[in-house]
Amino acid sequence: MDALLSTLDIRQIGALLRGEPGQVGMWVRRWSSRRLLLYGAVIVVGAGCYGAAMGSWRALLQAVYNGMKFPLVILLTTLGNGLLNGMLAPLLGLNIGFRQSLLVVSMSFTIASAILGSFSPLMLFLIWNTPPVTGSWSAVSSAYCFMQLATVVMIAFAGVVGNLKLVPLLRELSGSSAVAWRVLFAWLAVNLLLGSQLCWNLRPFIGDPKIPVEFFSTHAFEGNFFEAVFKAAKHFLN
Amino acid sequence: MSTHVIIQMSERASTMDVREVSVLLRGEPEPINRWIRTASAPRTALYVAVIVAGTGIYGAAMGCWRQPLQGLYTAIKFPLIVLLTTLGNGLLNAMLAPLLGLNIGFRQSLQAVLMSFTVAAAILGSFSPLLYFLVWNAPPLAAHVSGVYPIIRLTNVAVIAFAGTVGCARLGQLLGRLSDNPAVGRRVLFAWLTVNFLLGSQLSWILRPFFGSPDLPVEFLRANAFQGNFFENLLQALQQLF
Amino acid sequence: MGATPPRIPTGSWAGYQAAPEPLGTNPVERTPIQGVIGAVEAILRQPRRVMFQMKQPNAGGLIISLLAIAVVCSLVYGVVVGTFSGAQQYWAAPVKIACGMLISALICLPSLYIFACLSGSQARLAEMFGLVAGLMALLTVLLIGFAPVAWVFSESTHSVVVMGSLHLAFWFVAAIFGLRFLHAAFCHLNAKTSGGFQVWVAIFLLVALQMTTALRPLVGKSDRFLPAATEKKFFVQHWLDCVATDPTWNETPPKAPRQDAQN
Repeated sequence: MDALLSTLDIRQIGALLRGEPGQVGMWVRRWSSRRLLLYGAVIVVGAGCYGAAMGSWRALLQAVYNGMKFPLVILLTTLGNGLLNGMLAPLLGLNIGFRQSLLVVSMSFTIASAILGSFSPLMLFLIWNTPPVTGSWSAVSSAYCFMQLATVVMIAFAGVVGNLKLVPLLRELSGSSAVAWRVLFAWLAVNLLLGSQLCWNLRPFIGDPKIPVEFFSTHAFEGNFFEAVFKAAKHFLN
Repeated sequence: MSTHVIIQMSERASTMDVREVSVLLRGEPEPINRWIRTASAPRTALYVAVIVAGTGIYGAAMGCWRQPLQGLYTAIKFPLIVLLTTLGNGLLNAMLAPLLGLNIGFRQSLQAVLMSFTVAAAILGSFSPLLYFLVWNAPPLAAHVSGVYPIIRLTNVAVIAFAGTVGCARLGQLLGRLSDNPAVGRRVLFAWLTVNFLLGSQLSWILRPFFGSPDLPVEFLRANAFQGNFFENLLQALQQLF
Repeated sequence: MGATPPRIPTGSWAGYQAAPEPLGTNPVERTPIQGVIGAVEAILRQPRRVMFQMKQPNAGGLIISLLAIAVVCSLVYGVVVGTFSGAQQYWAAPVKIACGMLISALICLPSLYIFACLSGSQARLAEMFGLVAGLMALLTVLLIGFAPVAWVFSESTHSVVVMGSLHLAFWFVAAIFGLRFLHAAFCHLNAKTSGGFQVWVAIFLLVALQMTTALRPLVGKSDRFLPAATEKKFFVQHWLDCVATDPTWNETPPKAPRQDAQN
């Protein structure tokens, strides 16, 4: 198993998915930039495949764009919050360095991306069985709702599992269950904050069939995710 | 620097050691008891200096909401009230103490009262930056913006009440230790508070204004300073209320 | 990066064991803190070491380092705040945030010392000054951590209310950690009660919040560097005024939007 510690061996991902705290804990303590590269690669491939599958419902070009944007959201969230996650950990009782916290957060996203990558054939199958997005409105509206729901469920499942797999590792590193959960919730909160806004900035992921396929919306930097949620809630209540 | 070192230095030296004030604030019994028994002019001068500085700075903050000149006047008047109350009631406090069971002399009773005012003045001085900040953020008094005057008045009442309460608490602890009987200490404290309140409130009435009114000129004393008294005015205000 | 970092003792919130062990028991705590980077590491990972070093006679260097950290970090975060409006705010916001933070600390320092004395603490004024510098340093370092998130939102929204609320939320979270450090230090100062400290925390938060209004605008634009004397108001009134005039919170929602909104 020592051979896995210093190579780009893809079999490490299995150990991550199984959540073996001893093995994974050793990887955290012994920093390796090659391992981080491997995680980056899994995120790009796994999330990219899932994003491409999602986007293929709209058009092939949208699939290509999503294949780039989905991993970008994850990587930018990881890097953007790297400093903050690294500071929150010791403040909440887990005395690890910045590089180690970056590695741990990358691990959870790697697990999530691996799960999403494995779901991409399922997503393609769903899309194959769904009316095209350019079809009649009545058919598309219910299909769109279903696709939204399916996407949310898959991404939520991948995210939850990815984070839950962190808990034994954090518990082992800190020696305390309470500290592990505190750090996890803090990281989740800040990653959700930045990640949701990045998703808003990098939209669309499916797109409006009446508008040509574009990488960025023309309104990419207008408003934010939470404003949109607030307005939607206000409209709903009115 | 430890309290022990401060005590040794202050008992040997003839200069005023401002670090003694922190000992007063903490209410440490041993050094304070010793200081009461060995009253000294430099120490008394220190207490007066802290009272003048602390209440003066606080008074300046109070008055500057009206005008800087009012700030200057209040900075002079606030310490004056404290010192005149202490001196005016000095003899009375010294006579009440043995009558109520606490056998201390004139200098010791004066020292004890000065100590409690020193504690209150130190607290007021430490709160003066906060009051300056509040006044700086408030619309000018002349603007008559509703709600601001009650806030500032209430803040002043709260701060002065807090400072006064802590000063009284420290005095009560000291009197209880000097008499070895908490009940005697409480009696003497109550008596001193009553006479000090009586004289102090009337001196406040005479030396008004402290905030000033935007409709009246800034003056050190009102022309009718010696007309009426605090309790008459309070009674009239209550009659109007009901 | 080889050895496992030491675990922070459990049993209290994130390693601030106020009661059992006196400061300096652990040999690591007795090691002097060198330089600015050392101070940043210590304030994040070894707060007890900072508290112990503050009690030493030559704590001046550490205090200066912490103050420097606080000033630099607040200037950097101020630039991020300024990116929302741009133009003059690129320099005005950092200057106001740095100065406002220092002035708020100075305003509240005398009352903190008084409350410490009233609680029975033996701390000197210089020590309290150093602990407040530690509070500022930790607060501003955490704000730097939030800076990328704040910048992303700054580039995405036009709403002053949203951006202001976000900055306040980040500041509040950072302040919680900073005040927690100060509270732990307070407990080690032989204070018999912490009631005075809790009152001081309320005062400090009120002063800091009011300072953001006194030095406005931090988010948004104005013709003046500071508000005129006639525009003075308390921070709650200012917030309510901003919400009342912000289009995001007052626009009428469109009728019957189509479900295929851009996703």
